[in-house]
Amino acid sequence: MSSNLYTYGVIEKESIELDERGVDGGTPIRTVDYRTLSAVVSDIDTMEPERTDENARAHDEVLREVLLYDGGRTIVPMQFGMTFKSGRTLKSVLRGGRRAFRQALNDVDGMIELGVKLVADEGADLDREAIREDVGGRLAEVSARETDDDLYSDRLVLNRAYLVERDGEEAFGDAVEAIREDYGETLRVQYNGPWAPYNFVDIEIGAQGR
Amino acid sequence: MASERPGSSSLADVLDRILDKGIVIDIWARISVVGIEILTVEARVVAASVDTFLHYAAEISKIEQATQSGDFEDLQDLEIKQSPAMRAQSQ
Repeated sequence: MSSNLYTYGVIEKESIELDERGVDGGTPIRTVDYRTLSAVVSDIDTMEPERTDENARAHDEVLREVLLYDGGRTIVPMQFGMTFKSGRTLKSVLRGGRRAFRQALNDVDGMIELGVKLVADEGADLDREAIREDVGGRLAEVSARETDDDLYSDRLVLNRAYLVERDGEEAFGDAVEAIREDYGETLRVQYNGPWAPYNFVDIEIGAQGR
Repeated sequence: MASERPGSSSLADVLDRILDKGIVIDIWARISVVGIEILTVEARVVAASVDTFLHYAAEISKIEQATQSGDFEDLQDLEIKQSPAMRAQSQ
């Protein structure tokens, strides 16, 4: 029975139906409303979908589709695996968390997330601090917010996510291109996105007393 | 010079985001219909300035108190503004 719902994210109230295949192949992608909010969902049999590469890609691709298709819209993304028992439990959470969802939608209104990494060769002799300052400064000028560096490898000189106005993607791309021209000889410049603004929303909802 | 388009995303980039970030809702809230009085809502602004965070923290705690006392509906006028620091950053 497909009575469970897999949720991808929350948008301003809008009726959406996409033929795309979601997590566990669920289709169509559709919306469940509560007042001024809509959750983007697909039907699913289980409450615990497997974290396969295919499911991970499906979750992300549905979000990107909602973020971009038909002119695009703002979406606040769910973490992977947020399944609900029914439309009623989903609406109950939309109701209880509506302030936080509304606030998050306002925070990232009209925005997309873009990622930039600068990767050095093994053992390269570089003034990393100076590069971070220059590149970070140039990208800060064409973005609204940024995350701290996530330097999980010694080869990473810079690794940040940026929150950028939808209309500002081209200017951001110009800045990345200029950085590649200036640093491309010594560093690999990785530019990825657009993403739903995963790095710029943080909401946790729980049921007390359980 | 053409504006550069982002490249395709690697699986590692996807996993880094979808497994660690985004809205988290615990299993109890997802399987049972619960009243708002027993839902806990924590919301933080990520990577904003400290000022903005403190401002949000104060507003969010108002929401949480109201949630716990059950008069959530009375907070229709609650407004969370961007701090000057955040606006300056977004210029």
